[in-house]
Amino acid sequence: MSQDNLVNRLSGQIESLQEAFRKLSKAATLKDLAGQFVGVVRSMFPAADIDLMYRATPAEHWEKLFNSGTPGLEDLLTIPAGGVPSSCTLDTPSTRILAVQRLVDKSFIGLVLSRMDERTEYSDSDVVSLRLFIHLFENAYQKMLSQRTEKGLIFSLNHRVLQLNSLIDTGIEVAKLDQDSSPQRLALERAASLTNASKGLVRIRSGERLKEEILFPTGFSVQSTSGGENRIATSFSFADDTYTFELFDKESRSGIIPFEDTDQLLLDALARQVHASLENRYLHQQALEKQKIEQDIAVAASIQQRILPTSLPSINGYDIAGINIPSKSVGGDYYDCILLPDGKYALIVADVAGKGVPAALLVSSLHAYLSAYLESTIPLDQLVRRLNTVIYNASTDDKFITSFIALLSPETGEIETISAGHNPAYLLRKDNTIQELNTGGVALGMLDIDFPYQTEQVTIEPGERLLLYTDGVTEATNEQNQLYDADVPLQQFVLRTKPERAELFIQSLISDIKRFTGNAPQNDDITALYLLRRGRDV
Amino acid sequence: MEQPFTLTSEMREDCLVMATSGYVNNVGGETIAKEFGRHFENGTKHVVLNLAQSKVVNSIGMSFLIEIIEQLQDVEGKLIFTNLDPAVEKMLSIMGLFKFAGKEQTVEDALKSLTQQT
Repeated sequence: MSQDNLVNRLSGQIESLQEAFRKLSKAATLKDLAGQFVGVVRSMFPAADIDLMYRATPAEHWEKLFNSGTPGLEDLLTIPAGGVPSSCTLDTPSTRILAVQRLVDKSFIGLVLSRMDERTEYSDSDVVSLRLFIHLFENAYQKMLSQRTEKGLIFSLNHRVLQLNSLIDTGIEVAKLDQDSSPQRLALERAASLTNASKGLVRIRSGERLKEEILFPTGFSVQSTSGGENRIATSFSFADDTYTFELFDKESRSGIIPFEDTDQLLLDALARQVHASLENRYLHQQALEKQKIEQDIAVAASIQQRILPTSLPSINGYDIAGINIPSKSVGGDYYDCILLPDGKYALIVADVAGKGVPAALLVSSLHAYLSAYLESTIPLDQLVRRLNTVIYNASTDDKFITSFIALLSPETGEIETISAGHNPAYLLRKDNTIQELNTGGVALGMLDIDFPYQTEQVTIEPGERLLLYTDGVTEATNEQNQLYDADVPLQQFVLRTKPERAELFIQSLISDIKRFTGNAPQNDDITALYLLRRGRDV
Repeated sequence: MEQPFTLTSEMREDCLVMATSGYVNNVGGETIAKEFGRHFENGTKHVVLNLAQSKVVNSIGMSFLIEIIEQLQDVEGKLIFTNLDPAVEKMLSIMGLFKFAGKEQTVEDALKSLTQQT
């Protein structure tokens, strides 16, 4: 052979090898690689029978990747001993080439090349060529594994990004207050998905009682799970309930595998998000209820403001002033001075047991009934008996009204009074003594019996004064929890405070109470009504 | 809540249209891959996967979908996902599936898109 021919032949072989490697390196799977490799070998040995086998470890059997149909060939292939990586030999007679190559992952590829025409034998040159092709296979296999590893790493990295992203998204989604799906259901689905768990559940228990069980996917049998190490769980308590999240059977392409530490971290994090969501929902609900109550209170306060007098009538020969300072935005105290058809004036002070909207509603009822009955000019004791019945029917068991009513005949100064379980009114006489007016009966609405009420007749002379008040005055407390009426008896204040105008008395009384209570919060409504009969001195 | 996995399929012209229901996990992914493989061997190169009834997908299920996409790439075919739940769409996007696969609102949109490409 001339040198040029040799060069041409070698060049041709190199190009064939390069083309072969290009084909082999495209393979993504062992099956693809085997198919490509058989094609390459066949292009070199068109008249050959080709058997290609794969052995994962020496302990396992040969697995046929490409089979010519000749049985028992795998028995001819021997794993090279010790550290020898490969063997490629001519069989005897030389109609077969047997080759075994250790691959990069310590698996083996085995090749049997048989002559279809048994009269022709293989040469040493054929053995060398085949050895080169097997090396190509080895390199392509290594490249395939590298690509697979690289893809696996990219997949794994993307999955971590997905887990982180989904954790954030799930936190946002479970925090939504108007979503249809329950937060624990959503978190369970996400936890199963992100950890590759095949199944999962959430159990909500109240003590030993199972309140709710959510299964993912629906209908699976908990008994069918592997349990043991193929299970992770986490739990938290909220509002007397215990929420337990469990995941089962982490999946892989090769079967069930143990959960990883990061799976437990993910499950814990998602459960914490659900816990926070439940707390937020609870707080939000509380805020809505509070808002609703505040709206109700605002409505009730508006009603009550219309009930309480914006100004008191001017009574010839008298001066009258009143005040109501509710402890909440809606109070349970009431006062008024009403001109009656017969020219008398009704002075009323009342106090509902309790505060807030229910108390305001009862005050509203009292105002309505009282106005109606006063129009009818029925005797005062009968009026109060009727009030007792209607208030009893209009109120709950724990609600009643104490009230003091005084009917003033302005020209004579005669006053008929009645107390329905209320604090005594103080009548300051000209001789600087105080007469307590306390005749009457039980508080309105307390008992459903036709209880007899008694009235009392007094006359207010010129220069004399009458104070009606609620227990918010006498029981105002300071920071040491002492009562105003204990430290500075109200009667003493009445005795020493005798301004020319009723309004000044009220202002002085409120100032004195505030001086006493200091920074202590007002815990009851304060109401007072003060009548002064003008005389020579006043 | 996610039901146990089921798969339906039909040929629309030369396109395989599969619709899943339930968790696309190892079992779901393998079922999809087997059904695809059966048609792929017969030369099907265009696939539409309707995930309307699958709100949860895990990475093992996605690995099967990636393999389908790769096999279709080798023969210049295409997979189009349709009716995706926003959370599933985001998962597939992060895992890089839309670099080599399409997405459409409906099966009809996907079929139209595939017709325009061929």
